[in-house]
Amino acid sequence: MASTSKWKLPALAVLVVVLLALPQVVRSSFALDIFIRILLFSFIGVAWNLMGGYAKQLSLGHAAYFGLGAYTSTIMQVDFGISPWIGMAAGGIVAMLASLPIGWLCFRLRGPYFTIATIATAQALMLIFLKFRDLAWGAEGTTIPNLGSSPLMLQFETKASYYYVVLGLLALGLLITHRIEPSWMGYYLVAIGEDEDAAEAIGVNAPRVKRDIYMISAFLTALAGTFYVQYIYFIDPATAFSFNISIEAALVSIVGGIGTLWGPVIGTVLLETTSALLQSWLGSSIGGIQLTVYALILIAIILWRPTGLIGIITEAYRRHLRHKPAHT
Amino acid sequence: MLETLAQAVINGLLIGGIYALVSIGVTLIFGVVKIVNFAQGEFVMIGMYISFYLATQFGIDPILSLLISMPVLFVAGVLIQHFLIRRVLGPNDMPQIFLTFALSLLLLNLALMLFTANYRTVHTSYSDEAFHLGGLYIPVAKLIAFVVAMGLSGALWLFLHATDLGKAMRAASQNRDVATLMGINPNRVFAVAFGAALALAGAAGSLLMPFYSAYPFVGQVFVLMAFVAVVLGTLGNVIGALVASLMMGVAESLGIQFVGADSGLIVVFAMLLLTLAFKPNGLGGGRVR
Repeated sequence: MASTSKWKLPALAVLVVVLLALPQVVRSSFALDIFIRILLFSFIGVAWNLMGGYAKQLSLGHAAYFGLGAYTSTIMQVDFGISPWIGMAAGGIVAMLASLPIGWLCFRLRGPYFTIATIATAQALMLIFLKFRDLAWGAEGTTIPNLGSSPLMLQFETKASYYYVVLGLLALGLLITHRIEPSWMGYYLVAIGEDEDAAEAIGVNAPRVKRDIYMISAFLTALAGTFYVQYIYFIDPATAFSFNISIEAALVSIVGGIGTLWGPVIGTVLLETTSALLQSWLGSSIGGIQLTVYALILIAIILWRPTGLIGIITEAYRRHLRHKPAHT
Repeated sequence: MLETLAQAVINGLLIGGIYALVSIGVTLIFGVVKIVNFAQGEFVMIGMYISFYLATQFGIDPILSLLISMPVLFVAGVLIQHFLIRRVLGPNDMPQIFLTFALSLLLLNLALMLFTANYRTVHTSYSDEAFHLGGLYIPVAKLIAFVVAMGLSGALWLFLHATDLGKAMRAASQNRDVATLMGINPNRVFAVAFGAALALAGAAGSLLMPFYSAYPFVGQVFVLMAFVAVVLGTLGNVIGALVASLMMGVAESLGIQFVGADSGLIVVFAMLLLTLAFKPNGLGGGRVR
């Protein structure tokens, strides 16, 4: 371990510098859009991974919080003229509060039936926003007023600015994960993920730990929702509560490495790059090709490397170390 | 009013028979193999496309074509169990959930690429016919589907209770280790259970074809309904799933009749959430998981 921690900090510093400099070097709006998507889905994956990865509560309903965050900030902005920065925080709090009753229902089930219950709650929320026009524009949705360059209203003229905002979000998510991982909370989560009954037997208050981590995960996911609708200037229930958001949140974590700090980031880089390449080769004419490829990658990972890409990388690194003469 | 109510109940029971075929498949796999098959709905979809192409290319009646869709899907089930599912059986939930989920994603999107998102229908001589009983209206196609669905459910129940292989399956579902000690080959039992469940889904697809459109997402409606019915009817219980499916069909139909035409899904979610809140162990009681 000593040899790994020696280069960890410099490597992180290099990564930060590269990420900060990237939009200054890359000017193509197409490429920046891909980078923004990668950072955004990494962030959603990191939020999912806190609960889904460490505690193995495999939610496929995180779109619920993404949508609540998106709708909270948009309603506050369009109807009351409140800045989406404040709306973003408010959305996070709404999502946190919503996770309490949703968690109360879903945590009554375990394993696959927990997953099904989370799908149902997210879909039910989407139906509510579709049905009740008075609540939020119904199925047509609404465009978000374009104010030109107004950083205080979370609107920018350049893609680079959006890039830095979402980079900041991802940094926040990773920092929170980094702090939780070695804490009591982190150990409780892993214990619950390994065997919930055994964790409870040795005194872990599993319902409370699950409730708390679900709140944190929901809060972060909601921030991503606000950012996304501000970025695309449009909101409707099908976008904000899209099942694809729930799927991608889980997929990037599993493909990258479930229950690891960097897993969701690595998974997103692979999946989003693949998706961008497919799009530039085939055009967007063939519906379904992207998710077909995602599904094949997922099946391959589950059958051959359930630890994800991170597992493959660390194994390769260990093999490399073994073949090198030992020196300290 | 009373007649409208009776009509809604009949409509619900008829479609509930189809839900039952899907639910029994889900609960059979859950009971015996101990996994939830997220892709069950996609096999209904495949059954529908098989019947659609047999009907349009060779003029085979969609209901008769279940004699083809059932064996095809049975073999598919045995192969999927043998080459995919068998490799992820263990104490860990993640690979099981996401393997069948990935399968669902894969089949759905392949269908989207191969068949496009267009709605496909088959028109049969009996598609528009109906019996009139008093003021009640009973469409022939739905009645045939219901009767065949009940017949297949009964046949499965008989198979589980009267044949050695069926008894072995029930034994394996109660205690896999003891069943293995008694000389039951779990892999064979699992393969048959998975195959039988997929064959039922295929049958559901063929039976639907005379009165329902096929499209890539069609399975999602049925699988959601089945998941709710399986929770409601106590996980792993065949009779429970059957009864709960009929109830779900009736509840959905009453919702459509008295709340609004597109309220079917809302009723389903409401039932799921109410079940979770008040009867998380199913109406029959029993263990969660």
